[in-house]
Parts: sequence; structure tokens; C-alpha cells
Amino acid sequence: MVIRVAGIADKMAKNQKQIAISEFFEKNKHFLGFDSLQRSIITAVKEAVDNSLDACEEARILPDIKVKITKIDSKKDILELQTEDNGPGIPQKSIEKVFGQLLFGSRFHAIRQSRGQQGIGITGVVMYSQLTTGKPTHVLSKVANDPTAVSVNIGLDTRKNKAVKSEQTRIIWENDDLTMKEHGLRVTTRMKAKYQRGRQSVFQYLRMTSIVNPHAEITFTDPDGETYHWPRVTERLPSKVDAIKPHPHGIELGQLQRMCRESSDSRMTVFLRQNFSGVSMRAAKELCEAAELEITMKPKSLKPDDVRALLEAFQGEREVNGKAIKLLSPPTNCLSPIEEMLIKKGLSKTIDSKFVATMTRAPTVSHGNPFQVEVGLIFGEGMVADKHVEVLRFANRVPLMYQQGGCLLTKAIESVDWRQYGLEQAGGKGVPKGPAAILVHLASTNVQFTSEAKEALSDNEFVFEETRRAMLEMGRGLRKHLEKKKKMAKTREKFELINDILPAIAEKSASILERPIPDLAGSITKIMSAVICNESTTWNKETKQVDVSITLFNYTSRARSYSLLVNWPEKSGGEMVGNERGGRKEAMGIWGWKIETLEPGEKAVVEYSLSNLEKGDWTETEVFFRGSQDVIGATKLDEKMLVEIRKQEEILNQSDVPSGDNGETSENNEDGVAYEPGVVEGDSGQTTLFGGEN
Amino acid sequence: MARVNDPELTKARLHLVVEEMYDRIVKGEPPTMTLPVRTKNNIGFDKKLGVYKYGKKRSTRDATSLGSAKNLLRALHVVEFIEEMIEAGKSSTLREMYYISESWGLGKFGSQNESNNLAEDLEVVTTCLREDFKLRPEEDGARMIGDVTIEELNRRGQWMTINARDDVGDSGYGVPYNVEAEKIRLKEHDVNFLMAIETGGMFDRLVENGFDEEYKCGLIHLKGQSARSTRRIMKRMNEEWDLPVIVFLDGDPWSFRIFASIAYGAIKTAHISEYLATPSASYLGITADDILAYDLPSDELSKKDIEALNAELSDPRFADGWWQEQINMMLEIGKKAEQQSLAKYGLDFVTDTYLPEKLGEMGLA
Repeated sequence: MVIRVAGIADKMAKNQKQIAISEFFEKNKHFLGFDSLQRSIITAVKEAVDNSLDACEEARILPDIKVKITKIDSKKDILELQTEDNGPGIPQKSIEKVFGQLLFGSRFHAIRQSRGQQGIGITGVVMYSQLTTGKPTHVLSKVANDPTAVSVNIGLDTRKNKAVKSEQTRIIWENDDLTMKEHGLRVTTRMKAKYQRGRQSVFQYLRMTSIVNPHAEITFTDPDGETYHWPRVTERLPSKVDAIKPHPHGIELGQLQRMCRESSDSRMTVFLRQNFSGVSMRAAKELCEAAELEITMKPKSLKPDDVRALLEAFQGEREVNGKAIKLLSPPTNCLSPIEEMLIKKGLSKTIDSKFVATMTRAPTVSHGNPFQVEVGLIFGEGMVADKHVEVLRFANRVPLMYQQGGCLLTKAIESVDWRQYGLEQAGGKGVPKGPAAILVHLASTNVQFTSEAKEALSDNEFVFEETRRAMLEMGRGLRKHLEKKKKMAKTREKFELINDILPAIAEKSASILERPIPDLAGSITKIMSAVICNESTTWNKETKQVDVSITLFNYTSRARSYSLLVNWPEKSGGEMVGNERGGRKEAMGIWGWKIETLEPGEKAVVEYSLSNLEKGDWTETEVFFRGSQDVIGATKLDEKMLVEIRKQEEILNQSDVPSGDNGETSENNEDGVAYEPGVVEGDSGQTTLFGGEN
Repeated sequence: MARVNDPELTKARLHLVVEEMYDRIVKGEPPTMTLPVRTKNNIGFDKKLGVYKYGKKRSTRDATSLGSAKNLLRALHVVEFIEEMIEAGKSSTLREMYYISESWGLGKFGSQNESNNLAEDLEVVTTCLREDFKLRPEEDGARMIGDVTIEELNRRGQWMTINARDDVGDSGYGVPYNVEAEKIRLKEHDVNFLMAIETGGMFDRLVENGFDEEYKCGLIHLKGQSARSTRRIMKRMNEEWDLPVIVFLDGDPWSFRIFASIAYGAIKTAHISEYLATPSASYLGITADDILAYDLPSDELSKKDIEALNAELSDPRFADGWWQEQINMMLEIGKKAEQQSLAKYGLDFVTDTYLPEKLGEMGLA
């Protein structure tokens, strides 16, 4: 069941006239998020923080948000919530509208990704506060152009069902350090609510929010006076999202009929190209051909059968030359993915761990609605090992905290047999167990929920399949990591053997027998009997660079020669410096060196640094080799992989369009590069470069 | 094999172990230590000696993995330590050696089990005894009560004459860890047989009931799996005085193993079986028959018990018909019983009825 927010708005507006606010609230509190004392405070925080994040995003300000909850009366369960941001503030004349009106903003009718698809916004908080404490909500707002801030109480007249302002004054708003607050908003409100800890708590909500909003600085003070701080880990704001035109795949008959009727376009091709996204000139012609319509027809003149034929052409039921018409994907600048590297940072910030894999799938379309799935997996010793992994679900950067079991995203996680990737999972079903957390983010212009509560995503095979694929990819990455760790441990053991134990055996046996200490080279070669590669990737605090060092030991009895290749974050803007061995670029993000012949017992070292990165951006380098003898600690290069990378690079260069991974979408948009949709072939079979099939 | 009792020969044999490692390194190979496989798959009956000994299977411990390399290094430290003790005229317990290994750096032991095993390994490879290595066991020997007179060399170097009935208290004569001729001399006795008993409770019951006097026997408390010196002194009394050894244990798979180590030789010490085992020892009970015949209170066999019984079926020491029958019967009834379950019929039942009946079957009462 899908309930559209706009529908609720209408319903509420109607209801408002007939019943008292209190009655309305009582009836609808389950989907307004105020159905329990524990949940009410979370909902209130959520509404305030979502507003702040949205406002900052729109005004291109890096958000700095402070949340404070104080116990006012424990017996009566009265809490005070204060939220403060550094957003643009609300002009005096709009405050009443924002805090006291039940009508929704225009964003709900536009096709674009936005946070505020849930609840009825901050107005609900004002209402709840009024109803449970009888007190108004205090608002302090300053916009950049005004010298002073407006201070006002917003209450609700429960008889007239209308917002009332009181005690409005203008004051000077100072920060704690006595500097003038430039702009921002502070909301202080009291309500009947209970503060709790755990999986469903204000703390968890803010923690999750901070993971998916790595550009935000969030501070939280709980009722015990304990302060938590989640720092900003990137200066990059989420890309600006634009509204888009509907895509032919997502249109319904009624809507198409209306669009035709209302059109004043002179010919079909113009109509198709200007009112829909993803329709090229060629596609417009082909659609008309498939629907057996003249391209010169006026859309207005289409008969019902014509419209139906056009819809069939849209949906690929009518073909040209035996093929469905190829449409471009809807533009994805209406989506704002968090992007792999930032998810990684967000996760690493709140969870201390060793391994983080993230993946942003290419944007795709389900029934004409662009959507994009992003996943992250964090694994490490510091986490609880014998419990279910933590599932962190998000829709359009909004944490989903309830109804985990009924959610599409959870089902996608459960559909994966995690046992093969190194996590425990009873019977290969359900949420796996292990020291890990899994993040799933769905960015979409139309997020569909199972119910008005808007806490679980409803089934959608495309979203499910995308999420599942991303999970499999993560899983492969995890398995590789674990295998590598195991191998490294073995290698470390061997090194301990030849560096420490063997010399000790030689020395001790020589001293007992009173003979000279024998040479160990022969024994070492026999014991190791392998070529071994040691890689270290470390953050250098002083140079602010990532230092990479790779050592190749030849512990075999024959001379060996190899090429070594590494992956490096070229696409994310990293730069390779201090690479004295030279080498050459083999493909995008792949660098290679020819290693001179290594005699038995010899070693070769490759060293370089990566600049233009932040701490945590690059923590592990994968080493590949070309050569006949296996190398412990490196992967034999699959030449097909190089070909694949080069191919993708070519496509990228040709279209000048980001493929959707590694965060280039937003960069291009910010630079003002005109967007052109890339070709989407079916559900774009995205292959990752590392951790792919093996 | 027997006691070498020659420090130079002991050292020379230990050096052979060291040389094997050293020579391999000189040849450019990983160092190794070669020793017989010490599992039930490599024990066989020695007809000449009448006991079970290690067979020909040998395993090579080589330094290609961290674990076995560390083991070799430890062996070297132990060799060095033994040489030091031989030269200084000292000895140490196995436990002391374990603690001393704390200062051996990379060669230190991870657990006492490791150090005990290594000491046995060296015994096996060098065919010396741990007494040659100046290493003492931690476990104390058995208690003994009965009209048996021995002479023991005390700390002051004087020979003391002790009668294990008249010169001891209720806890009996404590058997020392070294029972070789230089420490213990068997003087005289007035008993018809020796009875080895598993539990302290049963030993005390027989003592209290005066069983040793009534039936003219020597009672020995094994304290579970018996120490080497306990088995050795029984073996000496059996050989030197020609006394039959009767073994009275609980009726469970673990007791069967205790009996096997007394009569046929233990798997872990199969290198010195001829020195410790008493092939003529006989098992009195509790048998699987007894559980049925005397309707003894019993416990269900646990999973581990069943595994142990099944393992015994393929153990060469239990290959004879009587044992196969007993083991299969225990598996069939699924029960085990303790010695002290005989108390079901009163405190005197064991001495008045059970033992006389069983000894009668054996021709000893």
C-alpha cells in the first residue's frame, strides 16, 4: 500500500475544518510519529534536524547542528528540546507559516529527492507540544541581512485551529563566545515524552543521520548532561537536486491523457522531447513510429486509442524493427547519493573498525522513477561478534529506525547467503551475525513505504535486485579482505619463523655442539619456498599524504622477474607523488612497474605517496602481479579486468558523463557542467574493478 | 630400554638430536627432529617383552611451520638445561622446568603440557629416562598398606626399614617418585598378592575393614591414572617377589585404560613399557558383568564414554576376546558403575561378599 504525502495533506486540511486539532492528532498520531512517549521525542528531533539539514543544503551552508534534551519534570515526563543550526534562518514574516501551518510546501508535488517526505514537519511538533504541555514553542531566527534576530513564541489556537504568535521581539543573538550569530535558527519546545537509549533513540537517530550526512557537524547533549559529538568529515555539500520531468516508463494512462490534452505543442516530437525526460530526437521519432502516429500530429488531437498506443510504445509493448525503443535514463541530478568515499568516512567516524567496503550503484529507474542504491559494510574486531549485524537503513538520507523486518532493504540483505562471505547466518537466511554493520541507502524521487508510518520500504523488484547485487559485491569484498587477512597472518608467521626462530635454532644448536653458527640462506629458501609481497598503506600525519610501500621478496631457489601493479584512487582525485621507480599508467586507477630480475634471496621495494586525499580515504592498496610463479600477498592480474577498466574509461571520456560511481556526479554538477544522461542498457550491469567475479 | 645412568652417554645421545638439526641447516635444509609416532596406531605387542611398544612409524618434525619450529627451539633449550643440571648435580621438577622456560624467550613453553610432552619426546628419541635428564614428575606416587617391608634411602643418605603395615599410619606408605634399586630395596613380605585400587574411598574402606590382613594382600591406591613410580614398584614386586597383581577399578571406559597402562603399557610411555608394565596383572572389576550380576546402581554412558569405548574396540591392547566382550557388553547395556556403588548392599558387602567371590574365581581366595 502506498500512501502519498500529498494525499494526507489534503485529508488533513479537510479534517481540520471538521474536528478539533486534538482529535485529529489523536486519530493520526501513529503516522505522525507521536504514538508513544518514547517515539515522540525522536520524531520531534527528526523534524527539526531534517528541516535544518534541508535548509542548509538549499542555502549551500555546511550545517552545524546542536541538539539538547533536558528533563523538566520526570514525574510528568516533560522534556525540553532545543535544536539550533547555522542555516539561513527564517524571515520574520515566514515563521508563522513554517511553524504553524498544516499545509505542505511545494516540494511534495515536484519529482525530486528530498528528506521531508515523512510526517507533517515541524508543525506537528508545535502541535504536540501545545497539546501535551499547553505551552507555545519558542523560535529564535536570524537571517544574514538583518542585524538582529527575531524571537517569538508560536502556539496554536485550538479552537480556531490556527497558529498564534506572541511575545515577538527582536534581539541580538550572540554565540557562546559572544560573537554575533550570523544566521541560524533555534527552536525550543517542551513536550510530554520519555527519553530512552538503545536502537530506537534520539542518540541512534542522530548517529545514523551523521553517517549519511558526513558534511554535517552534529552535537547532542542528552538529559544526563552527556555530550556527544559527531564531527564533519567532508567539506563537500550534497549535490543540489533538481526537479525532473516524468520519464516515459513511469507514466500512467490518465496522466498521459492529461498531458496530451493540456499540451499546446505543435507536433508530437516536440511534445515528447520537452515534456519527458530521457527522450532523444531519434527516440521521439521511433516512439511515434511504434505508436503509428504522425510526428507532425498535435498532441491535443490524439484520440484515446492513440494515447494508449503511445503508452504501449513507452512501455516497450510496441516495437520498431523488432526492438523496443531505447530510451535514455532519466537524469540523475535529481538524486543525491552520498557517494562511496563519504559513506566510508561516515561509517568509520561512528564505528571503529578495520574494513569498510562501500558501493554506490549507478542510478537506475523503476517505473520511470530514478533511484539509486548505496550500500556500505563495515567489519572489525571491535564490534560485537555473536549478535546480528547492525542494519542501518536510510531513505533519501533519512534514517529508518522502525519496522526493520518488514522493509525491502532488510529483505535484500536477508536474501544473500552471507556464510560464503565470512559471516554467520543460520541456514543461510535472515540477517547475518558477526562483527559487522550494513548500511543501505535508497535515494529516489519517489520512495514507497509499506504504510503511513513511513518506516519500511515496500517491495519493488528493481530496488530489491539493485540492493541485492550491491550486497553481493560487498560480500565478495569482505571475503577477499578476510582471505587476505588470513594469508597475511600466515605470511607474518613465516617471517617470524625465518627472522626469529630459525636464527635462534642455528645459534643454540651451534653453541650446544660448540661449532660455528651455520649460514641460513639455504634453509630460509626451503622453508619459504615462495615469492612474498608485503604491502603497507599508511596515513602520514606530517605530510598529509598516504604512504604506500610494497616489498617483493624472492624466497625461491630460482631467479624471478615480475611486473607489479597497484590500484590507487585516481578517480577520486588522488595524486601519485614521490614514485621514484616511475612505471606507467596501465589503466584508470591502475599503475604498474616492471621489476628487474630478483635473484634467490633478493628483494625489491616500490614506494610512493598519494596526495590530495584526506585521512581514511585510502587505507588498503591491492597489489597485482604479472609473472609465472605465484606471489603470496598479491593477486595474479586478470588482463580482462584491465580491458574492462579501459573500456569504462573510454565510455566515460566519450560521454563526459559520470558513470555514477566514485562521486563524480556531484562534482560535475557543482562545476556547472551541463548534464546529459548516459545510456542505460537494461539495468546497467555495473561491474566493479576490484572484488569482481572470482 | 632402561635407565642409562651415565651422564656422558645421556649427553652424547642428546647431542645426536641437536646434530640432526644443525646438520640439516648446514645442508641448506630446514632443521628437523625425527621421532616415533606416539599414538595408538603405532603401538604393537612385543612378544619378547610381553608388553606393547612403539612400532616403526616415525614422524619428522620440521621447521617449515611456526609451531614446529618453535618446538625444535624448545627442544634445544631443554637439552641445554639438562646439560646444565647434569653438570651442576641438580634436578628439577617438570613444573619447575616449565617456569624456568619463562626466560627462554622465543623458546618458552605455552603450557605445562607442552613441556611434559617434550620431555617424553626426548626420552623416546634418546632412549634415556627422565631420571637421566634430572627431571622429576610433579605427580606423587601411590599409597601402600600391607605386610610388606622395604628399605628406602632417606635424605640423609641412611637406609630406613619400613613395614607398610606396622610402621605407617592409616594413609599408608607413600611411594616416592624414584623406586629404582639405588633408592628402594625390597626386603621381605608376607602377602599372597597385590591389589591396586582406583579410588581413595575404596582403598580406605578395605583398610578400615582389615581386608589386607584377612586376605594377606598388599593394597595400593592408584590415585586415578597411575604415576610411573606406582607402576614401576608394582612391576618390581611382581617380578622380584613373584606376587600376582590384581586390579580393582571403577567400571567405566577410563578404568579400562588405567588397567591397560598397568598391564600392557600406556600409549604415551610405550617407549618404556617393559620397565613399567606388569603383563600378568589381572582385572578384577568392576566389569560390565558385575553391573548386571550384582544389580549395581549405575549411570548412563555419556557421549564421551561411548566414543572412548568405541576407540578401545580398535585399540590393539584390548584386542583379546574377553575385553572385546566386556566393552561390547558395556556399550550394549549403556551403563557404567563406580566401585563404591557396591555400598548399596552395606559397608561390608565389598569385603565380605564381592571381593571373596571375585578372588575365588581367580583362585586367590
